[in-house]
Amino acid sequence: MAELANLASRPNRAEVARRPFIRRETLIALLFVLPGLALAILFKLVPLLRGIWLSFLETRGFEDPTFAGLANYRTMLSDPSVHDSFRNALIAFATLPVWIILPLVLAFLLFQKTPGWKFFRAAFFLPYIIAPIVVGIMFRQILAPDGPLNAVLRAIGLAPLAIEWLNGPTSALLALTAVALWSFFGLGVLTYLSGLSTVSEEVVEAAKLDGARFWQLLVYIIMPLLKSVIGYWAVLCTSGILIWMFPLIYALTKGGPGTATVLPEFLVFTTTFQFLDRGLGAAIGMALFVFVALVSAFVVRRMYIEGSQRK
Amino acid sequence: MTRPASSQKAIVSSMRIMLTRWIVTGILVILAVVTLYPLIFTVINSMKTRAAYSADPLGFFTDLTFDNYIETFQRMQVPRLLLNSLITTAGGLVLSTVAALFIAYAVTKLKMRGGNYIFLFIIAMLVIPSQVIIYPLYETILDLGFGGTYQGLILAYAAFGLPLGTYLLSAYFRAIPDELIEAARLDGAGDIRILFSILLPISTPAIAALSILNFVWMWNDLLLPLVIMGGSDKKTLMVGVALLSGQYDVSIPLISAGLIIALAPVIVVYMLFQRQILSGAIAGAVR
Amino acid sequence: MKPTPFATGKRSRSVRTMLAGLAFASMTAFAGQAAQAQDVTTIRVLNWEPGGADYWKALVAEFEKLNPTIKVELETVPFDRYPEVQGPYITTKSGPDVMENNAGLELFDRRRAYEELPPEVLEAGKDLITYSGGCLNFDTTKPCYGLPFGYQGNVMYYNKKVLAEAGLDAANPPKTWDEMGAACEKVKAVGKTCLAIGLSGVFPAYWNFPEIARNYLTEDDMRAMLAGKMPWTDPKMVNILKGLASITQAGWTNSSAPSITMLPDGADIFQSGNAAFAGTIISDAANWAAFGKILGDENLGAMRWPTIVADAPLAGSFSGIESSVFGVSSWSEKKEAGFAFVKFIAGKENAALLSSIAGGISLNKNVDPSILPKSEALTQILEIIKKPTLHAGVLLSGQEADALARGWQEVSLGRLSIEDWTGRMQKALEQSPSKRQ
Repeated sequence: MAELANLASRPNRAEVARRPFIRRETLIALLFVLPGLALAILFKLVPLLRGIWLSFLETRGFEDPTFAGLANYRTMLSDPSVHDSFRNALIAFATLPVWIILPLVLAFLLFQKTPGWKFFRAAFFLPYIIAPIVVGIMFRQILAPDGPLNAVLRAIGLAPLAIEWLNGPTSALLALTAVALWSFFGLGVLTYLSGLSTVSEEVVEAAKLDGARFWQLLVYIIMPLLKSVIGYWAVLCTSGILIWMFPLIYALTKGGPGTATVLPEFLVFTTTFQFLDRGLGAAIGMALFVFVALVSAFVVRRMYIEGSQRK
Repeated sequence: MTRPASSQKAIVSSMRIMLTRWIVTGILVILAVVTLYPLIFTVINSMKTRAAYSADPLGFFTDLTFDNYIETFQRMQVPRLLLNSLITTAGGLVLSTVAALFIAYAVTKLKMRGGNYIFLFIIAMLVIPSQVIIYPLYETILDLGFGGTYQGLILAYAAFGLPLGTYLLSAYFRAIPDELIEAARLDGAGDIRILFSILLPISTPAIAALSILNFVWMWNDLLLPLVIMGGSDKKTLMVGVALLSGQYDVSIPLISAGLIIALAPVIVVYMLFQRQILSGAIAGAVR
Repeated sequence: MKPTPFATGKRSRSVRTMLAGLAFASMTAFAGQAAQAQDVTTIRVLNWEPGGADYWKALVAEFEKLNPTIKVELETVPFDRYPEVQGPYITTKSGPDVMENNAGLELFDRRRAYEELPPEVLEAGKDLITYSGGCLNFDTTKPCYGLPFGYQGNVMYYNKKVLAEAGLDAANPPKTWDEMGAACEKVKAVGKTCLAIGLSGVFPAYWNFPEIARNYLTEDDMRAMLAGKMPWTDPKMVNILKGLASITQAGWTNSSAPSITMLPDGADIFQSGNAAFAGTIISDAANWAAFGKILGDENLGAMRWPTIVADAPLAGSFSGIESSVFGVSSWSEKKEAGFAFVKFIAGKENAALLSSIAGGISLNKNVDPSILPKSEALTQILEIIKKPTLHAGVLLSGQEADALARGWQEVSLGRLSIEDWTGRMQKALEQSPSKRQ
């Protein structure tokens, strides 16, 4: 290892002597970004490129693949379950406002030092640290037709609401989204609370004296102050929602009933591993990549503006 | 004349405040029950016998038993799996944080040409859904000879944790005035020293927040360890749980015991560092 | 502006730190490869632990005792996660020396990853009731890739207590579809589920489909299915779908059926004593043992699925299949040791372990039946398996198995017609890489 280090440092020492400063700076900067760059290239970019290449191949089970041009993409476009999966993904993304608003409201309630707020804060965060696969297996029992959820609904006189949650096409997808939200809203509450701690209480008190109601306070005073925090949380939710839901689908519904809870990620997974059609799986994966890139383009743009070098 | 009316108004409004308080507290209590109940339900199930669970899945206290835990311990080699989870999570955590620190420093504090593009490239990796590249990723790891090794999983964890870390730390470093660094440079400090003895202490909150996010997902992740470690003796605790629930002859109480064993370390960490995690750490994510 | 020596020193230190960080991986890479003792060959065996952990511990110990120069390193993966681990191994041609796969199409699909078994290994197959599931197209004259050890197939279990409660004769469970319908009415009248079932996952394809298929298909039809030459639009295949649909449409099942899996959820309904019948399998899972333990051996019975077409040629047969087979990977550098392990898997020492520890039913003819645990349901099972036929479930491709389960879920929820289900099955067949003509 030491030899390697010398090899790398010796020639540039000579170079530095000839042309000072800029070269040295650049070299150091390069060395600083190298480990991260290597990680990103080796374990993200290279697999992505291999995935793109794979999507142009016809793979018969485990036989050697042959070049197939756009055949996989044509198959994909004509497959109704692919359409269903993207429709489901859109529905999942449509719940994003709830993901963003609900934790904010709760954080604001806790921020006003409601009695026992420390306990609530600790309780709300707990689900986040539970592994998704564990959450999925747990909720399989809880959402069962005769499980605790329906038992409670019947006990409080809401028997008509005690439906077979995972049987209905809409209720299954919404139940899955709700379970994912159950897992993650606590992180949002905590994130917002941190943001709120920078808001001075005087501002809130002054607004209260002016007769501002809770919602007015939230919308006109708090939300503008927390713009960057809301943005950060939106980043986490947008980039995470599909990834978070996958293990839940796996443990809870396997995409059923029918294709009601199949998300594109799950389809990539079944096509590749269960159907052994790796080429088609890669093609669906590329469609998902484009879809996610479009949805989260604004997120990346935001992150870029925030973190990049100002000219 | 006006007096009683205004005091009445005051009473009404104070009653309204009281009522609102109660409603708010009521809602929060219900939510807390909703968040805690599934865990309690699982703990109770894990202490039921198979017969007791079958007879009354919802019941609270039947004959409690620790047999499920004993059997799970026997089936799962818990200490070894725990060690594996610790090594890989710690490795991934440290490596991704260090790599992110270096990049964030280079793109924000070194006047690097193309630094913005590198930053964009790294954070753009965030939008590659893991499922899309999972198969070629495994192939790549196997091609590199890292299949079934600690370092294979650690490197993969580090790569997947990198975009968010780079983003958080860059945004954090950006807020630190350049003058601080110039001053240190005039004092003769090198880049490594500037990064580790000046920027690192300042950004502890950001690193803490990042570490919590990374610890939770790395510890809980199933897909990466499953395929990189396969079924070797280096598999993680989560894979062990999946292995347990994938067997044919298990019951829900037994699976529940496995789930609780897998959860326990994270819960313990949470209990121990609750104050820091809840009040301080996530604060690092937002400035 | 010349750099001061001081700055140079700093820089080269930072250079070294950087490289050290990069080299972290490659350094640790060597640490893991401590050399084994020279005279011992270690083989890695990829498996999902059929029969349970205790059985596999004993199996490895016995093998190593008989083959002192070979050490076995088990790589155990959850059954439902197996393809995710095995797939990349096969495409990168790396990994284990010995692998497990289900007999039938699953193995045939992966045959390029397996070494053809040489005649001296196949010799061990002669002691087995059957080993054709390890050979191409179920034909032992064609290349064989793996040898089996256990016997697998579907039966229907019943809870005698529930039958008695419903006023049925527990000694004479239903034999035909009509009798089953009548029995279910009585079971429902006492507020219980008749047939516990879960339609999610692969279970409908492997555990339910073959039992209906026996009413309409001949063995030749099944071979045509395997070759992709039996379209789903064929009236026989449509009848199978209709038969499956009738189970849920007649209300025999638990209402959660479309969204749960048979294991563990469906089986749990039966185990809790809330259902009269459950269609599962005979071994590996050792279901008769698991059910018997919890319901009481005296309350558990096993029967052939009721027949829809009583005079169909295979209606009274048992859909039997080698449970899983073990073969040697084509890239292995320790093929001889691997072959020794495969031979051992099929041998009578392993058969004895399977029966005595896992309670499994061995394929080996030389195993002493008296070492099997005593159970009434097991006695019934041993009677049922005497008339075996092909297992139609393992002839389905991944696409077909998936479309079958999803279609059935939607049919039972009243959202899909049999015609549309048929169309989806046909499309799944056409998209199956392994069945493409």
